Amino acid sequence: MNHYKLSISEINKLFKDKKLKPSELYSEVFERAANTESIIHGHLTLFQDENIKKAADADKRYENGTELGILDGIPIAIKDNINIAGYATTCSSQMLSNYISPYDATVITKLKDEGVMFTGKTNLDEFAMGSSTENSAFGPTKNPWDPSRVPGGSSGGSAAVVSAGSAIASLGSDTGGSIRQPASFCGVVGFKPTYGTVSRFGLVAFASSLDQIGPITNNVEDSKILFNSMKGFDPFDATSRKESKTKQPKLNNAKIGIIKELMEDGISEDAKLEVQKVAKLLESQGHEIVEVSLPLTKMSISIYYLIAPAECSANLSRFDGVRYGNRVAGNTSYEMMENTRAEGFGPEVKKRILLGTYALSAGYYDAFYGQALKARAMMKKEFTETYKEVDYLISPTTPSDPFKFGEKSDNQLEMYMSDLCTIPANLVGMPAISIPTGLSSNGLPLSVQIMSPANTDNTLLEFSQKLESVVSFTSLPEIKGGVS
Amino acid sequence: MKIVPTIGMETHVELKTNSKMFCRCNVVETDKPNENLCPTCLGLPGSLPVPNKRAIEFITLLALSTKCQITTDGMFHRKNYFYPDLPKNYQISQFDLPVGTEGSLEIVVNGEFSTVEIERVHMEEDTGKSTHIGSGRIDSATSTHLDFNRAGIPLVEVVTKPLIKSSKEAVSYIEELRQLVIDLDISEGKLEKGNLRFDANISVAYENDDELGTKVEIKNMNSLRSLEKAIEYEISRQTKMLNNNETIIQETRHWDEKKEVTSSMRSKEGSADYRYFSDPDIPNMILSEDFIDKIKNNMPVLPSEKRNTFINSGLSIEDANSIGKSPKWMGELYKSVSDITNDSKTSFNWITGELQGQLRKLGETSPPEWMTAEQLAEIISLVKSDKISFTSGKEILGELIEEKINPEEYAISNKLIQENDTEEISKMVKEIIKENSEVLERIANGEQKLIGFLVGQVIKLSKGKVNPSVAKELLLKEIK
Repeated sequence: MNHYKLSISEINKLFKDKKLKPSELYSEVFERAANTESIIHGHLTLFQDENIKKAADADKRYENGTELGILDGIPIAIKDNINIAGYATTCSSQMLSNYISPYDATVITKLKDEGVMFTGKTNLDEFAMGSSTENSAFGPTKNPWDPSRVPGGSSGGSAAVVSAGSAIASLGSDTGGSIRQPASFCGVVGFKPTYGTVSRFGLVAFASSLDQIGPITNNVEDSKILFNSMKGFDPFDATSRKESKTKQPKLNNAKIGIIKELMEDGISEDAKLEVQKVAKLLESQGHEIVEVSLPLTKMSISIYYLIAPAECSANLSRFDGVRYGNRVAGNTSYEMMENTRAEGFGPEVKKRILLGTYALSAGYYDAFYGQALKARAMMKKEFTETYKEVDYLISPTTPSDPFKFGEKSDNQLEMYMSDLCTIPANLVGMPAISIPTGLSSNGLPLSVQIMSPANTDNTLLEFSQKLESVVSFTSLPEIKGGVS
Repeated sequence: MKIVPTIGMETHVELKTNSKMFCRCNVVETDKPNENLCPTCLGLPGSLPVPNKRAIEFITLLALSTKCQITTDGMFHRKNYFYPDLPKNYQISQFDLPVGTEGSLEIVVNGEFSTVEIERVHMEEDTGKSTHIGSGRIDSATSTHLDFNRAGIPLVEVVTKPLIKSSKEAVSYIEELRQLVIDLDISEGKLEKGNLRFDANISVAYENDDELGTKVEIKNMNSLRSLEKAIEYEISRQTKMLNNNETIIQETRHWDEKKEVTSSMRSKEGSADYRYFSDPDIPNMILSEDFIDKIKNNMPVLPSEKRNTFINSGLSIEDANSIGKSPKWMGELYKSVSDITNDSKTSFNWITGELQGQLRKLGETSPPEWMTAEQLAEIISLVKSDKISFTSGKEILGELIEEKINPEEYAISNKLIQENDTEEISKMVKEIIKENSEVLERIANGEQKLIGFLVGQVIKLSKGKVNPSVAKELLLKEIK
C-alpha cells in the first residue's frame, strides 16, 4: 500500500499504532521521488542521505512513545527561497547557485522542533517572480497532470511534489498567488494566511508587504496542521503579529459572496462553471450565496505591478557579489557589482527591478508608486466594507486550467493576468485558500478560492474542510513513466 | 559690497546602545574586523530588521532636549544607493517623518549667547567601513577591505538650518551638541572615535542678497580644529571666487588635513536620486504620549541648565560655558567649593587653572578620591585671608594630590603661615632699613624697583613667614 497520499493525521495514527515507521514512509517518498523527479523536476535538491539518521530517530521516538507531535517524521518539501541552515538557498537564480544559508528561517526552526523531516528544496520562478516556474535558472518544473503544461508558479516545485507524492506536504510563499495558483494547477490545496501571521524571517524577500509563507497540501486538514505549527509572533519579524481577537465568520448558514469582477472577461467558462457548481453545493449545505461587487479588484494587477516591483527593486539590491553569492569580476568595485548583477539575474527579475526602480524615481513616485499605495488602501477598505455584509468571498483561483509551456511566455500581460484572482488577497493582507474541486474539459484540475477577513484563518480553514468533504475531489494525476 | 557666509551643519551621532539598530548584535569595540555580525546587519537573504527600542528612546530624548516637535506617527524609509560597505545597498533611514523637527539649541560664542536652529533629528543605521587599498578612492583602489562591525550601529542625524554665520559659531555648536549627548548619556561623544561625525554646507553671498549662494558640502573634518580651519578656508575660497565673478559649483569637497585645503570630491550636478520609500519590513513608529512623558520625566540636567546654574553662582557666561564642558567632576567640585568659599571666580580659577594644571602634569584626569571640596576650599581661604602665600597654596595643593593631608595643619607644621602681626613686621622693617641705607639712597634717586629687594630682605629675615604685601606697605610707610 502507498502512503504518500494519506493525510498527516492518518499517517500519524499509523505511526502511533506501529503499523508504519517514519523510516518506511521516508523510503517510500524518496522512491517516489526517484521515479517521478526525472519527469517533474520539482525538487532542486533532495536531502536523501542526511535524513536516514533523522528517520531512525523518529522511529525510536514512536517506539518509546516520545514523539514530538503530529508532524513528527512527516516528510515535507521546502521552497528554495526559505533558508535551512547548512543548505543552499538558491531562489532558482544563478546569483545564489553557490549560496549556503548559515541560519534557519523561523518556520524551519518551528518545524524542526516538531520533528519534521525535510525532503529537500523545491523549484520556483527565480526569486519567486513568475507564474509558471519557466523563470527558474535551473529549468522548469512540469505539471504532474500533464508534463507539457506548467505547474504554475512561483511555488511550482512545491505544488508539483505534493501532487506527485514525493513529499507529504510542502511550504511555499505567496506574494500574488504563488501558493494558490500552482496548487490549483496541480490539483492540491494551497493556503495563504493573513499577512503577518506566519513569520517571514528567513524567507528571501520579493515584495515584503505582500510575501507570506503558507502550506501546500493534499487536503485542507494538513494545511491547518502546518499553518498552526508555523503561525505566531516572531521577535525577528517586526511585521509579524500576535493573534488578535477578531469577529469570526459563521461556519453554518454563512453568507458567501461571489465576486462579480472575477466572473467576467478573462475568466474561462470552465473556471466560471466550477465556481457556480461549488456555489450550488454550498447552498445545499444551507449557506446563502450572493453576488458582490468589488470594483477595485479590476485594478489589482496594475496596483500589484507597481508595488511588488518597487519593493523588489530594493530587496534585490543586496545581491551584488560583495559578501556572498556568485561574483563576476570587474576592474573596479562598481564594475564588479554591475557585472555580477548583469550575469546573475534572469530577464524577468531584471525587468521587475527596472520597473520598480522607475516607479520609485524622483518625479515618477507620486504618479506611480504613490498612487498604487493609495489605491491599495482603498481596495482594503472595499474588502473590509464587503466583509460587513458577507462571511466569505468566493472566486476561481485561476482564470483557466494549466497552460502549456511557452503558451504565455511571449505575452507578458496574459501571464500576469493568470494572477488576477489571487492578487487581491495579498494586496489587502487577508487569508485565502485554493481548493481543488473538479476537472476541466481538458481533464486538468480546477479550483475555487475562498477568502475571509484578516485574522480569521482557522475559521476559513474549518469552513473549507466542510466544503472539501462535500466536493470530494479524489482525482490523482497519472505520471507517465512513473510508478502509479 | 560685503560678502557674508552661511553655514549649515549635518552631524551624525553614534548612540551607545548595547545592541545594533535593527538586530541583536553587540555594539562593542574590537580590533578584529567582521566580529559582530549576524544575518540582519550583514544583509543576508531573508533577514529582517527589528527596531531597537532603546535607540528610539535615545533619539526622542535628544529631540526633546533640542526643543524639537516630536513626530508621534513616524516611519522608517529605505534610502537606495549602491556602495560595497552598505550591506543591503539601501540604508534604513527616515525621510519625510523624522522623529524631531523644528528645534533649537542655545550655544555660547565669544562669551555671548546665540541660538542654532535645528531643522530635523532623524534615526538611521550606520554603514560598514571601507578601506581602499592602493588609493584613497573606490574607483582607483586595487582592492577594498570591508569591515561590517559598524554596520547597523544606531545613528542620529542632526541637521541645522543654514543660519550659522561663522566657523566659531559652528565649532561652538558642535561643542554644545557633544556636551548634550554626553550629559544625556546617549553617546560616548568622542570625536576621535567617530562618535560624532560632521559635514558642513557652506555658501557665500552679498549681504543684501535675498538668496543664498551655491552650497558646497565639506566632508572629512575629524576634529573641531579641522572644522574651524576647513570652514575658514572654504569661506575665503568662495569669497575670492565671488569677487572674481567666478561661478561656484554645487559639489562635495574633501578637507585635506595635511595640506589644509579643500578639494573637489564629486560634483552634485546630477544630484543623486535615493528613491526613498517607506520600509515595508517595519511598521509605523508610533510614539505614545506615555512613552514621551516617561522620557520627559527622566530628563537629566541639560548643559544649558548647568550653564545657567554656573552663571547664577557668579561666573561669566564664558567661564560658565567652559566649566560646563569640562569633565563632570570639575563642575561638581566647583559647585561645592564655591558654596563654601562664596567666591565663584577664585574657586573657578583654582579648579580650572591650578588643580587641572597640576593633575595634567602628573598625567591624571581627575583628582584623587580623598580630595574633598572642604580641603580645597580651606586652601583657597588660607590664601585669600593672607594666612599663606599663593605659592604656599599651590604647594599644599600639590601635597594634597599626593596624599591625604589637612591643609591648615600642613601649613602650620611646614611653617607656611604668614606673619601678619604689623608690630613684629615693623620691627623687622626698621632693622632692614637700618642695614640698607645705601639702597634707600638709590630709591630716593628714583630706583623704585629696589623696594622689591627690600621686601625680599624682610621676608628673608622672617624666614618666609611675612606676608609680602603687608611688608611692602609698612616699608613704604617707613621710607616716606
